Amino acid sequence: MDRVEQLIAKCDGLSAFPHTVISVASMLADGSYNPDEMERLIRTDEALSTAVLRAVNSAFFGVPGKLFELKDGIVRLGSKRLTRIVLDHKTDELFVDAGAAYGLRRHGLWRSSVAGAVAAEMLAEKHQACDPSQAYIAALLRDIGKLAIESSLGSDALAGVSSDDAGGLGFIDSERAALGVDHPEVGAALAKKWELPDELCGAIRSHHAPPAPGEEGASALNDVVHAADTVAMWSGLAIGDDGLCYRLADHVEESLGIKRKEIEGETAETWFRVREIESLIGIEPQQGAA
Amino acid sequence: MTTLLAPTKPNTKGDIVVGVADIAVTDDPAARLVTYALGSCIGVTIYDAEACVGGMLHFMLPQAKACPGRAESRPAMFGDTGIPMLFDALEDLGARRDRMTVCAAGGAEIIADNGHFKVGARNRTLLRKLFWKNNILLSGEETGGTLSRTLFMRMSCGTVAIRNKSEERTLWTA
Repeated sequence: MDRVEQLIAKCDGLSAFPHTVISVASMLADGSYNPDEMERLIRTDEALSTAVLRAVNSAFFGVPGKLFELKDGIVRLGSKRLTRIVLDHKTDELFVDAGAAYGLRRHGLWRSSVAGAVAAEMLAEKHQACDPSQAYIAALLRDIGKLAIESSLGSDALAGVSSDDAGGLGFIDSERAALGVDHPEVGAALAKKWELPDELCGAIRSHHAPPAPGEEGASALNDVVHAADTVAMWSGLAIGDDGLCYRLADHVEESLGIKRKEIEGETAETWFRVREIESLIGIEPQQGAA
Repeated sequence: MTTLLAPTKPNTKGDIVVGVADIAVTDDPAARLVTYALGSCIGVTIYDAEACVGGMLHFMLPQAKACPGRAESRPAMFGDTGIPMLFDALEDLGARRDRMTVCAAGGAEIIADNGHFKVGARNRTLLRKLFWKNNILLSGEETGGTLSRTLFMRMSCGTVAIRNKSEERTLWTA
């Protein structure tokens, strides 16, 4: 058993991707789901039912003076929004207390993941690079390796790892030197264990170093998730001890046709959309006075 | 009388936490202003000991024109709208420019960002241009690099410090 397998085997609480997400995603996949069956499935998860009801009765979707029941809410939200609420809610359950090993506060790993997901969807749409929904999921799950490392090695796993760029090492190199593994490869192994599609495993594995066009494993999805990870850092949403100690792959700017002025607008838009998602699924915004 | 920006009350620990794209001012001498995990964003603190007022801004991007449709609803997100807002709000509370102590931290960059993005560097440039134009000198500053920084200011004495992991450094003290 190699180091990555050993580490994954020790993740007791991460043996499977949340069942509800898989079931909801497969019911929604062909766009012709039965609202009664969907209601029965979502009702089995009390916290998720509450999140769906909160969303459908929120200022974004609600009607003043009218309170929607769960089944009406499912119909009203539609498949795309419902999928997002399920994904965002269930990943918060997974990530809520994780991230301390990387210097993140409560909800920090989730907030950073959602920021990347929102940015990936925007970049995929704008540059018509790949399927925006797939980009959203891949970016949302890109840091599950951090979750696995913390889960198996504890919150002080990286206590001695420097996040400074002294010597030109990126954080991935420092992480690998300290642990013998890095979070993208551990994340890809966990995604494989969860039986997620190969494209998602590949995007998770290469989110800090996507192969250049022509190289094995190169894809627009990988480039989008990588660029979205950088946008999430610029948006300032949940920067950890690893800081900004990562590299932006040289080819990505050209392959996606990203322009500086546009990327700053997308960075700002990411922040606004994460705020909206926090509100929709009932998470306190990042602490602040305003 | 209404103020430009009402003073923020500290939480039960005595902290006023300033989030990303956020601004806060206070006249509470027992409060501590704090903003966590500055990456490419920049945190700016201003303190006037005599008026006992201080404030903090955590801006994300240099210019509001990057996001014209949304910028008005969140002026603290941008340096060119947030920094004047912080000065104006503190003057409104009784601070005077000739007594102000100004510090800044953040503006980090991803490694080898040789492209055209350089968000941290553009934030730093905006900060310097704006302060130079207005004859404002920074009393303490730690910007650049790749580090994440947490920025504090104690209202009891105006001391400004930054922390990275468990290491704390003073940027300015009376």
